[in-house]
Amino acid sequence: MRTTSGVLLTRLTMEVATALVTGLIGAIVCYGSLEFGIGWGDAGPQPGYFPFYVGLIVIIASTVNLGFGIYHHRDRVEEFLTTEQGQRILAFFGPMFLFVLVSSFLGLYVGMILYLFSVMVFQGGYRLPKALAVSLITAIANYFLFEAWFKVPLLKGPLEALLGIH
Amino acid sequence: MDNFSNLMDGFAIAFSFFHLALMAVGVLLGILVGVLPGLGAPNGVSLLLPLTFTMDPVSAIILLTSMYWGALFGGSTTSILFNIPGEPSSVATTFDGYPMAQQGHATHALTLAFMSAGFGAMFGVVVITVLSGWVTQFALKFSSPEYFAVFLLTFASFIGMGSGSAFKAIVSMMLGFAFATVGMDGISGNMRLTFGFSELVKGISFLVAVIGLFGLGELMQTMEEGLRFDGIHARIRIRDVFKAVASMPSHWMTLLRSSLIGCWMGITPGGPTAASFMSYGLAKRFSRRKEHFGKGEPAGVVAPETADHSAGTCAILPMLALGVPGSATAAVMMGGLMIWGLTPGPMLFIERPDFVWGTIASMYLGNVMAVVLVLATVPMFAAILRIPFSIIGPMIVVVCFIGAYTISGSRLDLWLALPFGILGYVFKKLGYPIAPMVLAMVLGDKAEDAFRQSMMMSKGSLAIFWNNSTLVATIMSLAMLLLFWPMVSMIIRHLRGAEHGRRISA
Repeated sequence: MRTTSGVLLTRLTMEVATALVTGLIGAIVCYGSLEFGIGWGDAGPQPGYFPFYVGLIVIIASTVNLGFGIYHHRDRVEEFLTTEQGQRILAFFGPMFLFVLVSSFLGLYVGMILYLFSVMVFQGGYRLPKALAVSLITAIANYFLFEAWFKVPLLKGPLEALLGIH
Repeated sequence: MDNFSNLMDGFAIAFSFFHLALMAVGVLLGILVGVLPGLGAPNGVSLLLPLTFTMDPVSAIILLTSMYWGALFGGSTTSILFNIPGEPSSVATTFDGYPMAQQGHATHALTLAFMSAGFGAMFGVVVITVLSGWVTQFALKFSSPEYFAVFLLTFASFIGMGSGSAFKAIVSMMLGFAFATVGMDGISGNMRLTFGFSELVKGISFLVAVIGLFGLGELMQTMEEGLRFDGIHARIRIRDVFKAVASMPSHWMTLLRSSLIGCWMGITPGGPTAASFMSYGLAKRFSRRKEHFGKGEPAGVVAPETADHSAGTCAILPMLALGVPGSATAAVMMGGLMIWGLTPGPMLFIERPDFVWGTIASMYLGNVMAVVLVLATVPMFAAILRIPFSIIGPMIVVVCFIGAYTISGSRLDLWLALPFGILGYVFKKLGYPIAPMVLAMVLGDKAEDAFRQSMMMSKGSLAIFWNNSTLVATIMSLAMLLLFWPMVSMIIRHLRGAEHGRRISA
C-alpha cells in the first residue's frame, strides 16, 4: 500500500475548485437575499441589503482568488494530496460519515457503539471482546455524564425506545 | 483605588468552594483538550458551552476561562514532549522545547514553559485589572454607530494585519457573515436565506462551525499526515522543577518583552499565535546566544510561552469591554455571554460588575491553579497520547458530534458539522484563515443590527459614522486605514521597488 504515493490532487486543482465553490456560495447568498429587497428603504437598508452585498463581495474576492490561484500555481508542481494521504483521509472520513448517517436514524448511542467498535476492529486490528468492551463502556459513560449528570439528552433512536430508556 | 475594591469584591465571588472546584475541573478538561490532537481551546470551549446554558453566568465563565488556561498549558505539554503542537499558538514552543526534551531536559523545559506561561498570564490579568476601570468611562459614549465602528475595526484588522492573502481572509470572513444572516432577521422578522428549510429558521450556530472547522478539520489534517507520536517519557523530577524555577529571574528581559508583546497582540486582535511567533523572533534577534536557538535554548521556550498566555488573557478584555474578541476562543466565549443573556460591551461593566470582576478575579486564581495542576498531572496526560490513535481518534470524533448535537438538540447540526469539517481542512491547507469566519459568525448579527440601527438614527445617511462623535470618526478612520493597509503597503513597496530598479538600471 505504501508504494502508491502518486499525486491525487494538485494545489492548482484545489485552489480553483475552492474559489469556484466559495463563489457559488456567494451567488446562492445573493440569490437568496433578493427575496426581501436589497434596496435602501425608508429606515435604511432593507433585510436583503446586507446579505446581498456580503454575497457580492464573496463572488468578487473568489474571482480574485481564482486568478491568483491559477497564476501562482500554473506550473502544477505543488501537490495538495498524494494518493496515500487521500487513502488516509478516506479511511477517516468514510466511517465518520457513516457514524453521522447511522446516528441520525438510530440515535447517537447506537451510532457511537457501532462506530467505535468497527473502527477498532477493522482499522485498529483489535480483538472483538476488547472492541466491544471499549465501545459499550464509552456509551454508558456518556449516558451517565449527559443524561444523568448534566441532564442534557442526546439523540436517541428506536432501540432506546424499545428498551424504555428516555 | 476603585479598581482594587472592585477586584476584592470579585475575589469574594470567585473564592467559593464551588467556583474553585469548577476552576479545577475546567483546567483539567482544558489540559485534556489541549493535549489531544484535533481538540483545541476554541473547540473545547464550544463543546462545553451547551452544558453551561443553565448555569449562573459567573460560574459558567469561570468554567470556560479555566478551560482556556488549561488548554493553553496542555498545548505546550505536547509541543515539548511530542513535538506536536496541541494548539496553533504553541507551534513556536516546539522549536526549542522539543530539542530540550530530547536532550533529557524535559522537566526543565516543561517547568520553564509553565512558569513563564503563568507569568505571562499574571501580567495580562494585571493589565486587564488596570485598564478595566478606565473602560467604564467610555461606556456612556457608546451607541449604535460607535459599536458598528468598533466591529468594523476588528474586521478590518483581521484583513489588514493577517499574514496570508487578504482576499482569502475576505472570503473567509464574508462567508461567516453570510452564515450568520441565515434564519430570522432580528429587525424585520423575515426568514432570510432559509430556502424553505424550516430547520434553518433558528440559523446556523457558530458552535457547529467551530466544532467542524477546528475539530473535525484539524483531525482530518492529523490523519492525513499519518500520525506518529515520538513521545519522550516525562517523569517530573522535583529537583529539576526547583532548578528551573530558580533560573526564571535570569530570563527577566525575555519575560517582560514577551509579556508586552502578548498584551498588545491580545488586546488588538493579533491573537496568541501571532504573539508567540513574534516574541520568539524578537527573543532570538536580541539574544547573545542566537546560534543556540532551535537547538534547545531555554529562552526559546520562555519567549513564546509568555507571549502566548499574556495574549490569551488579554484577549478577554476587548471581549468584555467592547464586545470584540481578540482570539477565536474569546469569540466563542463571547457567543456564550450572549446566550447567557449578557450583552458584552462597556455597559456590562456598569450593569454587571459582579460578573466582570468575578471573572477577572477568577483569572488570577485560575492561572495559579493551572500552573500547579499542570505540573502535577503532566505524566498522566502524556500517557493519554500513548493510547493508540485508532481508539482515541474515533473517541474525539464522537465527542465532537455529541457537542454538535447538544447545542440545540437538532439532527441538522450533526450534518452541518461535516461540511464545516471539510471546509476547515481545505481552508487550512490552502492558507485561508479560519478565525475571521468564526469571528464574523459570532459578530455578524450584532454588526448588522448596529449598522441598521445607526441608519434608522440618521435616516439613511452614512455620514453618521463620522459626525456622531469624535470617537466614532477616529475609530472609523483607523478601520479604513487598516482595511486598505495591504493595498497601501503594496503601493509603497511598489514605488520603492520601482525607484530602486531605476537607480540600478541608471
